[in-house]
Amino acid sequence: MKVLSNGLLVLLFMASPVCAAAADVIGHIHTLKGTASIVRGGATLAAAPGGALNQGDMVRTGNPGAVSIVMIDDTSVSMGPNSEISLKNYTFDPQSGKFSLVVRMVRGTFAYLTGLIGKLAPDSIQLLIPDAIIAIRGTKLLIEVKE
Amino acid sequence: MKNKPMMMVALALPFVFFTGCAPVKPVVQVEPPSPKTVPVHTVVLAPDPDGRIGKAEIANAAGKALLEKPFEMTKVSQPSLPPLVPSPAPAEYVKATFDEALSVEPSAADKFILFFESGKLKLDDKSQKTLPEILETIKRRNPVAISVSGHADAAGSVQVNNKISLQRAELVRDLLLKNGVDSKIILVSSHGKGNLLVPTPEGVAEARNRRVEVVVR
Repeated sequence: MKVLSNGLLVLLFMASPVCAAAADVIGHIHTLKGTASIVRGGATLAAAPGGALNQGDMVRTGNPGAVSIVMIDDTSVSMGPNSEISLKNYTFDPQSGKFSLVVRMVRGTFAYLTGLIGKLAPDSIQLLIPDAIIAIRGTKLLIEVKE
Repeated sequence: MKNKPMMMVALALPFVFFTGCAPVKPVVQVEPPSPKTVPVHTVVLAPDPDGRIGKAEIANAAGKALLEKPFEMTKVSQPSLPPLVPSPAPAEYVKATFDEALSVEPSAADKFILFFESGKLKLDDKSQKTLPEILETIKRRNPVAISVSGHADAAGSVQVNNKISLQRAELVRDLLLKNGVDSKIILVSSHGKGNLLVPTPEGVAEARNRRVEVVVR
């Protein structure tokens, strides 16, 4: 049974470049006000403080709604109402010196605070907003993405 | 400068006679599109919690803008137009737009560093005393996550350092578990010699780099 389910897992993730890392926890929901949800592989889950975040998750807030997420390297993103972020690519592997932090801010308001990746490998950070890419040198940014 | 459009119209006149077209007003400057028609996105540089100010570069195919002063902002509306030249962000705009996002900002994490006796899987005397402090903080904060990361110094092979830094982290995790901390919120990681507290050249044994960092959020 275990072999079978492992085989299924491999099949499921073959199409995805993130492979086994997809199931790894890359961050957590920290503080929540109002409503927020996590969109994972087509399913929408209610966000709750302490809830784990995986590679490829999208986080959305309702109105009223505000939520903060903390990645395992201590990077945090706090979102206002009617906001959506996509955690496209995240790697925090200091042991082998591999880092990436690529997030897409789809819409809404965000407060981004850099963490360890910003200190160890700032060039691996890309914040994507419509029509531009933001590169950072260890800092805090406030970002508004209009629809 | 004021005469320029007039001059251009004058230059264009013979052309108008030949083609019979209505004179075309010379275009002096391309105005950015009105915010009403095209969504305009804003990026504001804010000071870090410790007051330091970093830098951010906002770039697209048409150009880039560098933010380096506190509460400087730029705006970008479409890929064919470069981000606007940085200008001060109005305080009212920042408050009205970001207050709700900032209201859920995580409070700064509590960070602890535990050191080990040289070559042993044993906390040094001082760090033994830090443990109750960590447990007290966990009780008070009711954290959503506790990261326990093991680190090694730059002496020795990568493999040995990765192994020992993981063992150090696991030892601290076990101490937390023994004291009733929920295993689900503990995240153990091993950094080997990839993240030195005290920068040293390769091969240098440095006690302060042989450590476990506990971050309580």
